Amino acid sequence: MRDMLAKSVDYGRSLGAKYVEVRAQNLFKTLLMTKDGTVEGAKEGTESGAGVRVLVNGAWGFVSLGKLEPKLLTDAVDQAVRLARAASLRVKSPVKLADVKAVEDRVTAKPEKSPRDVSMEKKIDDALAMDKTVLGYDKRIKSCTISYLDVTGTNYFVNSDGACIQQDKLYVWSRILASARENSVYTSAREEIGSTAGYEVFDTETPEKVGTLIAKRVVEQLKAKTPKGGSFPAVIGPNVVGVFIHEAMGHLAEADLTLSGSILYDKLGKQIASDAVTVYDDGTVEGAFGSFKYDDEGVRTKKTPLIEKGTLTGLMHNRETAQKLNMEPTGNARAEDFRVEPIIRMRNTYLAPGDRSFEELIEDVDFGYYLKSFRGGQANLDGTFQVGIQEAYEIVKGRLGASVRSASISGNTLETLRRVDAVGRDFELWPGRCGKGQIAFICDGGPHIRVGEVTVGGGA
Amino acid sequence: MAEHKLAELFEFGKRAVKFALGRGAEEAEAFLSVSSDTSIDIERGQIVRSIKRMDQGLGVRAVYRKAVGFSYTNTLTDKNIEEAAARAFRAARASKPDKNWVKFPSPGKFGETRGTYDKKIVDLSSDELVDVAAVMLGAVEAYDKRVLAVDGGVGASLFSTVIVNSQGIEACDMGTAVACSMETIARDGADVTPACYEVNAERVYDIDPEGVGTEAARQAVSSLNAKKIGSGAFPVIFAQDAFHSLLYYTLINAVKADYVQRERSALKDKIGEKVASDLVTVYNDGLLEGGLLTRKFDAEGVPCQKTLVIDKGVLRNFLYDSYTANKAGTESTGNASRTGLASYASTPALEASNFRFMEGDRSPEELVGEVDEGLLVFGVQGAHSSNPESGEFSVVATPVWKIEGGSVAYAVRGVMLAGVVFDVLRNVSALGSNVRKLGQLVAPWIRVEDVRAVGRL
Repeated sequence: MRDMLAKSVDYGRSLGAKYVEVRAQNLFKTLLMTKDGTVEGAKEGTESGAGVRVLVNGAWGFVSLGKLEPKLLTDAVDQAVRLARAASLRVKSPVKLADVKAVEDRVTAKPEKSPRDVSMEKKIDDALAMDKTVLGYDKRIKSCTISYLDVTGTNYFVNSDGACIQQDKLYVWSRILASARENSVYTSAREEIGSTAGYEVFDTETPEKVGTLIAKRVVEQLKAKTPKGGSFPAVIGPNVVGVFIHEAMGHLAEADLTLSGSILYDKLGKQIASDAVTVYDDGTVEGAFGSFKYDDEGVRTKKTPLIEKGTLTGLMHNRETAQKLNMEPTGNARAEDFRVEPIIRMRNTYLAPGDRSFEELIEDVDFGYYLKSFRGGQANLDGTFQVGIQEAYEIVKGRLGASVRSASISGNTLETLRRVDAVGRDFELWPGRCGKGQIAFICDGGPHIRVGEVTVGGGA
Repeated sequence: MAEHKLAELFEFGKRAVKFALGRGAEEAEAFLSVSSDTSIDIERGQIVRSIKRMDQGLGVRAVYRKAVGFSYTNTLTDKNIEEAAARAFRAARASKPDKNWVKFPSPGKFGETRGTYDKKIVDLSSDELVDVAAVMLGAVEAYDKRVLAVDGGVGASLFSTVIVNSQGIEACDMGTAVACSMETIARDGADVTPACYEVNAERVYDIDPEGVGTEAARQAVSSLNAKKIGSGAFPVIFAQDAFHSLLYYTLINAVKADYVQRERSALKDKIGEKVASDLVTVYNDGLLEGGLLTRKFDAEGVPCQKTLVIDKGVLRNFLYDSYTANKAGTESTGNASRTGLASYASTPALEASNFRFMEGDRSPEELVGEVDEGLLVFGVQGAHSSNPESGEFSVVATPVWKIEGGSVAYAVRGVMLAGVVFDVLRNVSALGSNVRKLGQLVAPWIRVEDVRAVGRL
């Protein structure tokens, strides 16, 4: 494999490409879906292929192919060079890459329980046990949908700088969705489990723990009220802090989007948040869903500070944006698979913990909301964000009150970061999947925080 | 792009079915797909990348004692195909019986599809696509210097599917598509607009890159100098992109038989009842001429058809695939779909195809002209956080403009819209004549009365 890839890289250079990289993959996937105790499909699949990326006269050419054969790979290199040349005729500001040390390495996954060694029967039984816990919790719970996915295999990476990396890939993921109905009130709740460690994640994320959590949440919402619309103080839990930091702050600090005019465009080195706010994007958290050793440009991952005590100190880069902004590459270039080119993605993104207890955070709130668990979120380049909330409570005179359903919060990222007036000492990291044209596995999280004011919408 | 070799795919499909049956499967199905794509990417004001992609593969479903197993591979050799068939059968044996399983569908008569294939798209070279991208980019630059072409591109694709099953279905289909899109922002001093977006997708080579560039730039410039407004209930005009986002996570799910049967739809038991304004008539038209999702047959080989969903406000039909149809004792409406990066790697799921909101007679100017105080919403953010069961949504409108005295007055920043999609349908007060195709939605602009807006002053 290594020789075949190295030969095609050399061939690309001989055609005049300034930079050539070939990523090849052999992947094995298991997928399951159960609906209300019925297995909808037990699925397995194999995929192999390569993505060839070349830089010629400052423009990129990319070709993907679903076969690993020497002749087809050379043809793909040929084609990629021709594509890049065609695009380069219109380039005004040629693409250049930041220098990185070329690495030769072999990274082996060492799971306690490899998903490849767990039988399909066992995976089905585990999913059905989760289903049974959820549906068995209360007869008002009407449906439970469980998705399961594991991906194992190997990535090969060779480029014209001399990098040669073989890296095992291992992901285990599950999502549980439940819905409940009582008369004309419909509610839903969801949770995800994800790990790069191994199938052992289900030893801690058990049906009793996760299933019961979701079941309680979906039933609790049946009697919940809808929120008042308007601006209120809020205490935000780790799960919602995570999605806020990911969506509202993280995407704007992906250097491609920063350069595209996100509100962080001219903010490097400036105070953009309250002193209490420190944020990292960290690819080194062991076993976390967003962790890996080398990104898809062969750059070593790291713990990258984005905000330190309120000041914007870092962005997430690939080699192209790092060169453009004269900063260090951070190892954030990721590709969903060989079919697509690497783009800047987050890893495990979180707000660092402070020193307050939960009681201290809520005790001064006269009326506001405690936002505990999210359902989706999204942000715009101008910093307008929205996060849907599946579990929330009123805070009345410093104490938790009635539960609230179908709320959502919105605001401007920078205004909201400046209004963070207290940060808790707890910490949680939650797995998720992020879409930016491609899907990436990530984590996000943080402690509980208090925000002076956010806009709460929702309810009818 | 080279034409796809369908005869070879048929042979692979038949081999997979035969092999699975030989192993002991009671039923088997092979689904093969091939796609060729060429695209040009624009980033931050310039053409930076040219891409070619070819992907093909096979997915096999095998049934054993009412349990369904599935396996796929993207390596089409006799050996890998047999392995995939054997794995599908093993997965079925490892799985549990599904008491609602009846059988794979039998052959049906396909309707006629028009405007879904164009040789001109197949013959487009990447050089020609670079020229198209340059025209679009040029239109943005010519419109106003304050506009940045953040992200965009042009893409052409050719895709083929083949399906073979043990009930006798043997069918193939081939289609083309071409699209250009542009995302812009405008910057004037410290004033940065939200991202604005315009797209034009067609099945035949008839796109307007200059129009897309100009419109994306117009939206961005028009979003400068945004003001904040207070809360209230207003008439809101939804453009297609905004309405598509809103419906995708709410109404479109609520009319899927899967959601109905599992008590996840607020429209359960509402067939024959009034669920929307008299003005609302909706079809799922799988055979729509030139429709972005028009096919001869669905992901299980069932003929696509035109299904009346809402007739002058009255709910008439739900959408079915063969599994949910068998469960309800009715016929599939041809709404099985395989999605994802590679369709051969996924099993069929129930999905709308061309979800067609019938148009009215108002021009966009008339729709706006009849509003004294209201909002014109081009996009919404956060629709995926809607409650899929109740239809409750709470989204940020962006980009959005305030309408005052019958004309578009100024851009607005930070307005949330909240409500229940079924109230929105009941409060539809006028429909435009400006129909567009966008993802699953085919619709005009739609005006809705009394939508709750939460502003920030």
